[in-house]
Amino acid sequence: MEYNVIIAGVGGQGVVTLGSVIAESAMDARLNVVMSEIHGLSQRGGSVSVEVRIGDVRSPITPAGAADLILGLESIEAFRVLDKANSNTLVLVNSRHMTPVYLSIRGKEYPDIRELARSAGNTARIHFMDAENLAREAGSERAAGTALLGAALSMTSIPFDAHNVHSALEKRFSGRLYDINFDAFERGEKAGIEVLEGRGDYIQAGKAAIGR
Amino acid sequence: MNIYEQVLNGKPGEKALLLGNEAIARGFLEAAVGVAATYPGTPSSEVGDTLSEIAKEGNFYFEVSVNEKVAVEVAYAAAISGLRSFAFMKHVGLNVAADALMSIAYSGVKGGMVIMTADDPSMFSSQNEQDNRHYAELAHMPMIEPSTPQEAKDYLIRAFEISEKLGMPVLFRTTTRVSHMRAPVVLGPKEDRLVMAGSFPGHLAHVTLPSFSIKSRKALTVRLEHAGVISQQTDLNRLEVFGNGEYGFITSGSAYNSLVDVIRKHSIGAEILKVGMSNPLPEERIASFLMNHDYIFVVEELDPYLEQKVRVIAQREGIPVLLHGKLDRTFPEEFEYNADVIERSLAEPLKLKLEVHEVPMVVQQVPPRPPVLCPGCPHRATYYAVKRAVRMSGIKDVTYSSDIGCYSLGAYEPFEMADVLLEMGGSLGAASGLGKLTGSHVIAFVGDSTFFHAGMPALVNAVRNGSRLMLVVLDNSTTAMTGQQTNPGLPYDGMGNPAKPVSIEEMIRSTGVQNVETVDPYDLKAFLPAVMRSLKSEGVSAVVARRECAILRDRELRKGKTMPVYVVDTKKCGLCMNCVTNFSCPAIDIKDGHISIDPDLCDGCGVCSQPMVCPFNAIIPGVRNGI
Ligand code: SF4
Ligand code: SF4
Repeated sequence: MEYNVIIAGVGGQGVVTLGSVIAESAMDARLNVVMSEIHGLSQRGGSVSVEVRIGDVRSPITPAGAADLILGLESIEAFRVLDKANSNTLVLVNSRHMTPVYLSIRGKEYPDIRELARSAGNTARIHFMDAENLAREAGSERAAGTALLGAALSMTSIPFDAHNVHSALEKRFSGRLYDINFDAFERGEKAGIEVLEGRGDYIQAGKAAIGR
Repeated sequence: MNIYEQVLNGKPGEKALLLGNEAIARGFLEAAVGVAATYPGTPSSEVGDTLSEIAKEGNFYFEVSVNEKVAVEVAYAAAISGLRSFAFMKHVGLNVAADALMSIAYSGVKGGMVIMTADDPSMFSSQNEQDNRHYAELAHMPMIEPSTPQEAKDYLIRAFEISEKLGMPVLFRTTTRVSHMRAPVVLGPKEDRLVMAGSFPGHLAHVTLPSFSIKSRKALTVRLEHAGVISQQTDLNRLEVFGNGEYGFITSGSAYNSLVDVIRKHSIGAEILKVGMSNPLPEERIASFLMNHDYIFVVEELDPYLEQKVRVIAQREGIPVLLHGKLDRTFPEEFEYNADVIERSLAEPLKLKLEVHEVPMVVQQVPPRPPVLCPGCPHRATYYAVKRAVRMSGIKDVTYSSDIGCYSLGAYEPFEMADVLLEMGGSLGAASGLGKLTGSHVIAFVGDSTFFHAGMPALVNAVRNGSRLMLVVLDNSTTAMTGQQTNPGLPYDGMGNPAKPVSIEEMIRSTGVQNVETVDPYDLKAFLPAVMRSLKSEGVSAVVARRECAILRDRELRKGKTMPVYVVDTKKCGLCMNCVTNFSCPAIDIKDGHISIDPDLCDGCGVCSQPMVCPFNAIIPGVRNGI
């Protein structure tokens, strides 16, 4: 068994923390897990991605096309790691937009995400999700990743369950932060079910699904 | 339980999800080491961050030394006094410590001493990808290389045992993917640390004058021969068989992990000789391994270090074997290895069937997001002010000599203020030469920690030799890029105890520099004229731009729940675009044709609101909803 998760985002968004929660969940389910954390040059504001590999693997680096799940804490960052995706990969994209300085300097605005989704076509199963808002309802935008994880758990089969995530959250957070993340996770789970049932305010990428 | 508590108090047999570097800190406790010294550098920094957190309770001494050379010397002092000691640094840090390292091999030690180097294949956060296995050969020191966090912890303990057995330091080499790999680690028992005070090293016992070294030279050969015997017997070097074991693979470190994944995926009949002790190599074991296989692949990152040695063994023993590595171009010479790279390299010789996986077009359409200075970073204000001051002084021929730290990002747009950038402290050394030998206006940028690390001797050199340059010390009161460690300018030490700060201004003045000004980079109105005055002076002048790192400031403000935020009054905004084009705080962007500030990113520094950035006074304090 091998299950590969990639978390993509921007430095400062809690990419590493989300990776640790997923890795702890896998460990709680008594699975082998390896995770890679790359600390680049900048503390905040640069692209960051973390890979969590669960099961019978040794290297923390996911081979091209081998990702099973991609969680994008920032919209365009999810697309940046699509070289690791295949047509079965579930990609959950948070609604958070952070304009790269590269664009602002050139007088440009944040790119049209639907355009990117259209061009991604059937590269992967891409879903947009307002995890930012779910997390805000739970108490803090910073829990958006936890909400995405909740949604993913409802939408696809991951080799651990909600109980494992609960105990991982307990390990990583305490006090109010734990409550917020627990709540965000549950909201995410519900939102994921709504997406599966075709309800809710979510868009699926790919031909027909664009444009709500 | 947070990670630090787990490292400190985790019970034997417990499993903890640890980063390689955190596992090393645990190994440090399990090996009952008394002294640790470092200079922070990615990918080694979390070892120190962890040790720093647990030093008091763990009852050991931890020091953030002024640079890597001193860190090694402090650890050496402990080791010759009978204490176990550990010095650790990033790969290029070992260059700084190399002078000490070479002599320490001759001197030998009493207490176990391990020196860790964290190499950085693919240069995620470094200026080069030098292969520090060569240092083991150069210094005649044993070297041990783990592949996983578990091994990192366990092998560190072994390294101390070997060091004590041999009476010499042992080098311990990780790479980014080992130091920054997180995986379950089974904890072992912590030994009690009873002795903290070192004892007298011995009369004339550690002198390396020629007459002494001539005697120790032979002893060094003997010690290394003993190390060879250990390498021959140790399970740090081990065999693993897959399927029929037909093909022989010799590998080490992170490459081993990816290789195993490839072997399993393609069901390759293989026997792996995993080298955990890479100097000296287990030569006889390698020879018999070569005899047992018709085909041998040496799979290693960076230089063909193992391969060359294996080829020598094959030649010397007259073993006819088909050997593939980097030298016959089976494997690439550069960058880190992952399963994709190894698979591609083995595809032809082993006739592997590979799935074609093309990078989807959309990946290229994603706009780049290179590293940037944080919102509220004082360095942004510094670069902005210096650039303006240079222009307003009418200076055309300016050369920027920069250095290692967050402020290295000044080399990127919009500032692009780095014409030379080499290594730690290099800004001042290069500026000393440029200011003396060219007619250009030379401006040297150096951070507070880097100034202490290696900038000071170069400053003396510049003054002493009559160079002309303006020094800008970007003092953010921390060692930021590696994760906010302490440095000699700060009032606390690595253990978190109060310490007497060393004044940068006084150090500069003591060299004879007269024009030294201290400014707050957030105060552009005062900063700009200070730079202009400094640019006019002859000889060496200095501006100390002091303002704490935005991340530290954030932490403080969040505690008090008083984080200010700025907003754009679009009615006043003249859309001159100066704030996004020339100042470029990542919190400021353009939305629907208007300038806007992202309140979740804005750190409330207010620099963008100053007329020098926003001439229309359109950026004003706003109200934040919750923190
Ligand atoms: S006040 Fe202005 S410069 Fe400072 S962080 Fe906010 S947007 Fe950036
Ligand atoms: S600097 Fe001020 S006036 Fe110019 S675009 Fe920015 S906010 Fe508008």
